[in-house]
Amino acid sequence: MNQDALDDWFMREVLPLEPMLTRFLQRNWRHEAEIGDLRQEAYARVYEAAKRERPQLVKPFLFQIARNLMIDRLRRQSVVSLESMADVDWLNVSDDRPSSEAYVAARQELRLLQAALDKLPPRCRQVVLMRKVEGFSQREVAKEMGITIETVENQVAKGMRLLAQAIGGRRDAVTAQARRYNFFRKPRHVR
Amino acid sequence: MSADEIEQIASEWLAREDRGLTAEEHALMERWLEESSLHKVSYLRLKAVWRRADRLGALKRPPAAGRGASPRWIGLSVAAALIVCVGGGAWLAWHRTVPPGQDFATGIGRIQAVRLADGTKVELNTNTRLHADVNDASRTVRLDSGEAYFDVVHDDKRPFTVYAGNRRITDIGTKFSVFRNGDDVRVTVREGKVRIEVLNGDGKQVLAEAGHVLVTKGLETLIITKPEADIVNDLSWRDGMLIFNQQTLAEAAEQFNRYNERQILVEGPARKIRIGGSFKADNVDVFVLLHRGFGLSVNEQDGTIIVSR
Repeated sequence: MNQDALDDWFMREVLPLEPMLTRFLQRNWRHEAEIGDLRQEAYARVYEAAKRERPQLVKPFLFQIARNLMIDRLRRQSVVSLESMADVDWLNVSDDRPSSEAYVAARQELRLLQAALDKLPPRCRQVVLMRKVEGFSQREVAKEMGITIETVENQVAKGMRLLAQAIGGRRDAVTAQARRYNFFRKPRHVR
Repeated sequence: MSADEIEQIASEWLAREDRGLTAEEHALMERWLEESSLHKVSYLRLKAVWRRADRLGALKRPPAAGRGASPRWIGLSVAAALIVCVGGGAWLAWHRTVPPGQDFATGIGRIQAVRLADGTKVELNTNTRLHADVNDASRTVRLDSGEAYFDVVHDDKRPFTVYAGNRRITDIGTKFSVFRNGDDVRVTVREGKVRIEVLNGDGKQVLAEAGHVLVTKGLETLIITKPEADIVNDLSWRDGMLIFNQQTLAEAAEQFNRYNERQILVEGPARKIRIGGSFKADNVDVFVLLHRGFGLSVNEQDGTIIVSR
C-alpha cells in the first residue's frame, strides 16, 4: 500500500474512533496522565500493522491492541492484579460495521467544533477563528492582529492540539455507542 | 519521549505546513515523520483535526451582517469576502431568518438550512434551487430542481404549498421532503399529512401521510408505504449521510453522483450487486474501497470512477 493511501486510511478509519478509544482507556486505566501515551502507542501499532496488511475490522483490532497495551503495562508495573480486570467484559467489539457511525453528523460536527473553538484561550481562539472561519492565511492573520508570523504559527500549533484534545475526549458522540458495548456496563475507575 | 512531547513537535510541523513549507523544511519534516510511527500517527491525528476545523468556515458571517459585531469585524468580513472568495457560500447556515420572496440555491455536495419568515424550516439538499414566497396571505415554495425537506409551522389560514413539476403539495401539519428531477417528483412524508394534486389535471388529489413515499410520473401517482426506519434512511442526507439497505450498486452510485463532482459509473453485472451501510455523501473513496470485497475492478479516468466486474 502506498504511503498516502495508508495515511488516508488511517485518518478515515482509525482516527474517528478516538472518542470511543479515549473513553475506553479512561474507563480502564487509572492514570489519566498516561492516556495520551497509551492512545498514541495504540495508534502507532495499528499503523505499523496496516503497513503490512490492513485489518479487516478496524474497531475490534484497535481495541484489542489498546487492551494488550494496558495488560502489558500492568504486568510490568504489577500495580493491579489481572483478575481484577478479568470481570470487565472488554472485548465485545466483534461487530464488523464500518466505522461510519463514528462520523458525527454534519450539524453535530459543526456544533462540536464550535464548542471546542470557544474553549480556546482568547488569543489562540482569535487566530484559529481568523484562519479557519474567515479563511485568512497565517500571514494575513499576523498583519490583521499586529503580531509576528511566528506568534501566529505558535498559536496555530497550540490551537490544533487543544482542538484535538477537546474533540478526542468528547463524550456526546460516545453515548450512542456506549449502549451497544458491554465494556461500558461496569464502569471502573470513575472519578 | 512522551506522547505529549511528540505531539508538541508534530503540531509545530503542522503549523509550519499551514504557513507553507520550503522544500528544505519539507524534507526535514519527512525525515522526522519517518523516524517513528509514533511521530507519524501524532502528526496524522493533528492533521485530521486541523482539516476538520475547515468546517468552521460555515460560521462565516455574510459580509454585511453585523449582528452586533464590532466595526472591526465587519471590516474583516468584507475583506475576507474579497480575499477568500470561497464561492458556494456557507455550507450550513442555521436559523437565518429571511425576508419573503427569496431564492435559495445549493451547489453540488452542499446542504443548507434556512428558516422562512413564518418559522418554517427548509433544508436544501445538494444541487437544489427553490424560490420561497411567504406573506400575510399565503406561503408558497417553488422547487425548481433538487430536493428540499420542509418542517412546516402549521397555519390554518395560510396553507403551505410546494410547487414541483406539475404537482402541488399542500401541507396539513407536517414534515416532508420533495425531490424533483425534471417532471418526476417524489414526496417523502415524515410526519403528519400532505395533499398532492396534479396541476391542470382533473382535480384528482391524493392524501399522503407519515410513512408514505409518493412517486409521480406524468399524471400517474404511485404510493409506497415504508417503515419509519426506511423513511429516516431516505432523509439521512440532512446529516450529510447516505444510508443504503440492500440497494443495488447502480442505485447507490446514482445517489453518490448527486453529491459529487467525481462521478461513479457502474457497468455490467456489477450494477446488480446489493450493498448496505452508511456513508458520508461526499466520501466517494469509501465507495471505491467497498468494492475490494466484491472483486470488482475500479478505474478512474477524467474524474469518473468506473466500476465493473
